[in-house]
Amino acid sequence: MELLVNNIQKKYANVTAIKKLSFNVQQGEIFALLGPNGAGKSSLVRMLTGFTSPDSGDISLTIDGEKHTSIPAYTLGYLPEDRGLYPEKTVVKNLLYFAQLNGVDKKSALTRAKYWLERFDLLDRIDAQLKTLSKGNQQKVQLITAVIHQPKWVILDEPFSGLDPVNQEKVVTFLSELKAQGMTVILSAHQMAMVEKLADRMLLMNLGEAVLYGSLTDIQQQVGSTAQLNAHFAKPVTTEQLKQQFQEADYQLLNPTTLLLNLSAQHSINDALSKITALGDLAALHSKEMDLHQLYLNAIANHGTLNGASVNE
Amino acid sequence: MNKITRKQQVWLVTSWEFMHFFKWKQEIISKLILIAFALVVMLWQHIKDDQMTVYKIAVPNHVSNLQSHGQFEFIATNKPFEELKQQLAQEDSWDALLVEAPAQQKDTQVKKVSIYSKDKQSWLNELEQTLNQQYTLQYASSLGLASEQLALLNQSATFEKHYLDDTIKSESSPGQATAIAMLVILSVGIFTSFGQLFVSITGEKQQRVTEQLYACMSPQTWIDGKIFGQMLHSVKAMFTMMITAALGYAFTVVVISNKALNFSIIDWALLPWLIPFALVGVYLCTAFMAAIAAAIDDPNHSAKTSIMLLPLLPMVLAFVTMDSPSGWALSFLSFFPLTAFAAMPVKMALIDLPLWQPLLSLTITLLLCFWIRTSAGNLFKMGMSMYGKEPSLKDMMKWMLSKS
Repeated sequence: MELLVNNIQKKYANVTAIKKLSFNVQQGEIFALLGPNGAGKSSLVRMLTGFTSPDSGDISLTIDGEKHTSIPAYTLGYLPEDRGLYPEKTVVKNLLYFAQLNGVDKKSALTRAKYWLERFDLLDRIDAQLKTLSKGNQQKVQLITAVIHQPKWVILDEPFSGLDPVNQEKVVTFLSELKAQGMTVILSAHQMAMVEKLADRMLLMNLGEAVLYGSLTDIQQQVGSTAQLNAHFAKPVTTEQLKQQFQEADYQLLNPTTLLLNLSAQHSINDALSKITALGDLAALHSKEMDLHQLYLNAIANHGTLNGASVNE
Repeated sequence: MNKITRKQQVWLVTSWEFMHFFKWKQEIISKLILIAFALVVMLWQHIKDDQMTVYKIAVPNHVSNLQSHGQFEFIATNKPFEELKQQLAQEDSWDALLVEAPAQQKDTQVKKVSIYSKDKQSWLNELEQTLNQQYTLQYASSLGLASEQLALLNQSATFEKHYLDDTIKSESSPGQATAIAMLVILSVGIFTSFGQLFVSITGEKQQRVTEQLYACMSPQTWIDGKIFGQMLHSVKAMFTMMITAALGYAFTVVVISNKALNFSIIDWALLPWLIPFALVGVYLCTAFMAAIAAAIDDPNHSAKTSIMLLPLLPMVLAFVTMDSPSGWALSFLSFFPLTAFAAMPVKMALIDLPLWQPLLSLTITLLLCFWIRTSAGNLFKMGMSMYGKEPSLKDMMKWMLSKS
């Protein structure tokens, strides 16, 4: 059971949301969709769920010998970008309703609701009106809604948004558990540290196109060198000095005395060191591997202009 | 993997929708208020009967020979007017003071009577009626009329209408009352779903629940559940209204008026036809309103809200055309798909029709129901893909005509 996306394209009026996009999602993996706002992630998710269809290209998923053009509703758990449940109803009524709509009998739904609420420290609020819960707790109830019927495929649009770091970690554990239960998880997120921990493979999109695709190792190989030098100067350096030595996409001035330089084919260590020392007196120098966050920023920056789309960190 | 059938999902949405607006507490309280109201009326009636007050009316320098009657005791007195007026104001000797203007042309002039009382009282109207009766008898007597002759004068002619169109039911048949009752009950049902459906559909869109729902069922399933849920509410409202009206009528007739109960004002033979027409009518209107509501993104700024009032039009048209039941207007409305559900039962109540006519009318309405229900599903589906942008009426027509 593999989800195949082949050369799909989607236009809304004069805007091309998705351009010739191809990838696949393997059963049982956690697959991350990354990209700045306006990259086309939500348009892609809507096509995967069957809300909309591609203008060209195709999506295919074969389940029990039956071919589908999107993930069928009876196998899908979904956390939409636009969150919403019934605020006037209690937590348990919301959960039971959606579980039953997905074919779970009331008794099993109640057992599962209690299980997940306990996992998220919300069992004592089971009979509380949803609107009385904090935004973060409502988000947790919404997450439970997406998986209470134990779907084969789970699509989570921004599962970490609105959560504090402690609860973000809980969601990481939650997603790992879903994977262990055999669910395939497709998530879109901006929290790179979380994605790095969780995702087996990922697709980085920008302006409707695939920029990077594969596992973290694959992506590091696609980018080439992923080493970085972190240089601390005794005195501030100016951007004019930096522009003379490096290409703009290769460095980041973290503060007036701290420079983060990506080592690429253009910059061997010797070459980079001589250019760094030419900037001023060095106070300290460290090297490290580029994390996903940095890979993401570099890839988006290298992909060209963002055309107004903002890169959320 | 959990598989659930479409029917099961429709039933789940229907029951959720119904229970969302059905509040046991409110239902019980409203019925208790009705019972309390009836008890108060009954108690008042009882007290009124037990304590029938006799009012003493002073008639100074009386011209007419007024006879005490019922609650009123007319007492002739020679006391001066001012003294009587003072007694009326300060003592309980009198309840009212009656002064007749002296007759200039004896017994032929309409009397001018001044009535003085401490304050405005409800029994003063009854006093006027009693006086009028007595003056009429006095006039008749002065003209030399016997009471039988007076009764003849007061008797109005009776008219019996005969129509060459023998399909029109006789005036004594309960058709008119049945038709009006049907239109009133239908309006109650449609008004009930109007407000709730609007709140429900636009509310869910505003609360962003729709995308979550869309992930587990088709737009058509969702809209079907909404329509059925609201239809149940309409049926409940119509049924409650019928029961309340029947009980109210029974209470008025039996308890207040002490008469025998008589439900022959309704043509019960029409009931097997009225029920399907009412159900189909409510379904049609609910589906229509669901279609409009599904296309509304922001209820506070949408101009489409007013279109939702259109389903009341068939009732209004049927009401204004019912005076001419075999005329072209009601005949046209009885087969016009949008108005047939209201017009045909009215026509049936007023004239005898061959069986094929109501059957054809019902079939036409059912077909329209099916189309509007599918259109509502299409509109919701397309509305979902517009990301908060509201469709124009042109877009809506295009989607309504497209295949699901």
